[in-house]
Amino acid sequence: MKTTKKLTSTIVLLFVVAMTMGSAVSAQSAKPEKIKTSAIEVMKVDPSDVKISPAFLAALYENLVTELSKNGKVSRIEREGDKDAPGIKDLVKLQCIVTAFKEGSERQRQVTTVAGASKLSVIARFTDNSGKVLLEKDVTGNVRFFGGNLKVTFDLAKHVAKLVNENF
Amino acid sequence: MTSSSTKRISAISMAALLCIGTLCAQQPTGALKVEHQIGFESAKANEKGTLAIQNGTLQYTHNKESVNIPASSIEDVFTGADSQRTVGGTLGTLTMLAPYGGGRVVSMFRNKVDVIILNYRDANGGFHGSIFLLPQGTSNQFKKDLLAAGAHSSIPPDADDAKSATDKKDKK
Repeated sequence: MKTTKKLTSTIVLLFVVAMTMGSAVSAQSAKPEKIKTSAIEVMKVDPSDVKISPAFLAALYENLVTELSKNGKVSRIEREGDKDAPGIKDLVKLQCIVTAFKEGSERQRQVTTVAGASKLSVIARFTDNSGKVLLEKDVTGNVRFFGGNLKVTFDLAKHVAKLVNENF
Repeated sequence: MTSSSTKRISAISMAALLCIGTLCAQQPTGALKVEHQIGFESAKANEKGTLAIQNGTLQYTHNKESVNIPASSIEDVFTGADSQRTVGGTLGTLTMLAPYGGGRVVSMFRNKVDVIILNYRDANGGFHGSIFLLPQGTSNQFKKDLLAAGAHSSIPPDADDAKSATDKKDKK
């Protein structure tokens, strides 16, 4: 009799613990609030201490502007330094900081199909006018098979555009 | 020879000289055949055109259209070296389907090219980055011409050469 009671209380306790954990997990997995803005200003890509060719920085910047404009989630995409940008009240600034870069080799990729991959990782940081961080995520772009090394910037820009799509 | 015919000849030769002079003045100096990679909104990737410096302006001509950027609005100029596939584009991709690894052999043939990267501001102050492929051995002189026309650069042209040489050493 005693063991039955003990067993019942243990089951009840386990049930309560499971319910509590379940609610906590569901609270964590709840979709974050979307960021509302009418414009994103794309800032120059910060290479930080990573050794990276200026060609990749320029290509990443241009691909970011193109992909975010194509995305259409945010109506206006401004370039850094644009005279119209400071007048926008709800302006969000996007700053990409390079964290890792591997140039790879197009020739190696085509000859071996397994070696020579290009990889570029950045921290994509979205801040408001006051400098408050609204969203910060690590984003990585790759080229594994076809295309030149610069295509890594296109892949990365597409991922940033996807991030904007999910959070704005 | 009559005096009237002498006068006519001299007038014609004067007119011809004037025409040649005008043509020479209009032709941009140091026009280079280039391949646009990215950065000029009206141009597509891998589009061929010419890049020239005329009256303090960088002129990119492609498909009978031309884009002008004042050299003074160019904030930074970088040069480098790269290589591109001898057989590129769709044909280059199709060669990958060739039997017995034939496509891989074709992809090993590559042309050496120079790269020039221009960071500039548009009329509204917006930042742009653009990349062009140039014939091998021409980028350094073109950078010097651009700087002479009023462009700015954080790295002097000769330092660019030294830097690329060190990079090659590092890779080895």
